[in-house]
Amino acid sequence: MRRWSLLILAEGDDVATALADLAAGEAPARLGDRIETLTLPAPVPLGHKVARRAIARGEVIRKYGAPIGEATDDIAPGAHVHVHNLRSLRARK
Amino acid sequence: MAAEFAGYLRPDGSAGVRNTVLVLSILGLTGASARRIARQVPGTTLISMPYGRGQFGEDRAMTRRMLAGFACNPNAAAVLLVGADRLRLDAVAEQVAATGKPVETVALDDCHEDNLALSEQGVRAAARLVRDASRLRRQPLPASLLRLGIECGHTDATSGIAANPLVGRVADRLVDAGGAVVFGETMEWLGAEHALAGRAATPEIGAQIVAAVLTREGWAAASGEDLTGNNPGQENIRGGLSSIEEKSLGAVAKGGSRPVQGVVPHAAPLPGPGLWVMEGPAFSPPSVSGFVAAGAQLVLFTTGAGNSYADALAPTIKVTANPNTARRLGLQIDFDASALLEGTREPEEAADALFAQLLDHASGTRSWGEVLDEGEYAFARLGADF
Repeated sequence: MRRWSLLILAEGDDVATALADLAAGEAPARLGDRIETLTLPAPVPLGHKVARRAIARGEVIRKYGAPIGEATDDIAPGAHVHVHNLRSLRARK
Repeated sequence: MAAEFAGYLRPDGSAGVRNTVLVLSILGLTGASARRIARQVPGTTLISMPYGRGQFGEDRAMTRRMLAGFACNPNAAAVLLVGADRLRLDAVAEQVAATGKPVETVALDDCHEDNLALSEQGVRAAARLVRDASRLRRQPLPASLLRLGIECGHTDATSGIAANPLVGRVADRLVDAGGAVVFGETMEWLGAEHALAGRAATPEIGAQIVAAVLTREGWAAASGEDLTGNNPGQENIRGGLSSIEEKSLGAVAKGGSRPVQGVVPHAAPLPGPGLWVMEGPAFSPPSVSGFVAAGAQLVLFTTGAGNSYADALAPTIKVTANPNTARRLGLQIDFDASALLEGTREPEEAADALFAQLLDHASGTRSWGEVLDEGEYAFARLGADF
């Protein structure tokens, strides 16, 4: 029986990663030895990310305890975070 | 209790987790004779170098590190060197002899270019070495003698979130036990280089990590490739990866969280215990060969969709967190970590189990790659020949 469906990889991360294809609604997210509940406004596929908190446009987004890019839009808690609202800080096209 | 395994203590104080006799052809010309020798003497492992003349500069230095490194790897109880000229054979033999383990040489020149005479001499020499090696016994040894290479191949969305962090926890356990860990694939640090540099033991080492990535990125740019332009690729993006930073952080997660002690050139010996990064190619065969030449006796190898590559000298233990892969590839995957993805297994408990299994493989339990004789090797090259 599944006990958590999202994983937060490090303290201070701004995103949680889906461990399965998830439906909208409440979902338990694992961080270290505790679990927090996130509310997803929309379905999220396996391996994709959702915001743990409200993220403002221009803010740096962290995963694995390190920056993975910056927000190109305001992101609501639980919302899908991907190439439509996250831009690499390394690759500048 | 300190972690232990049952291994073969070598004269130089290193530990073998296997006890093979290495038949090493140090020149492309003698590969066929070496193959004939290895086929005729069970208990040997063949490594055959396809090049050996017309190389220069760092490319030649790297090839020589590979040859000496394979020969000195403690999984080989003894070494038979097969080559053409006495001078080169003796140069490699001297390096092996310094470890105190038995080494013999057979030279094509000494046989007046008679390849059959060469292999006949080699069969006799290899037979004696195998007989002597069979006298050696395993004994309890501390895990601090283990050197572990870490690689990933054919990754998917499950690798960066589950399999790589799991293997990273095992890497931390081995470093904490006093052992050594190495991972490489320089281009997979691209985008994570600053995070990795931040974990370096000194700022100088951090600068070397960043410089190593820029050097390879420069090589790519010089040939018209932009490594960040289409990276992550469409398949990565469908899998949920949004940036090169995220992709690379997932890749380097397999190295764990301990300080990076240094950047080691491809195939150079690991200077001591702790976590090391190796500057080298990203493709698994040459990358893993670099670790084994550096002295790694074991390899932990994470995969998403599956990857059958295994090293010839070092047991290569396959780990996946993809439930379909674990189910489909039962005779390839050594450790099924899919319960992490299914949210039913504690990450620390899974890491304890994989660490225990690693010690068990070190003590003699065969990996699937060994059972199926999948062992391979590859010599990386830099630059052109004369």
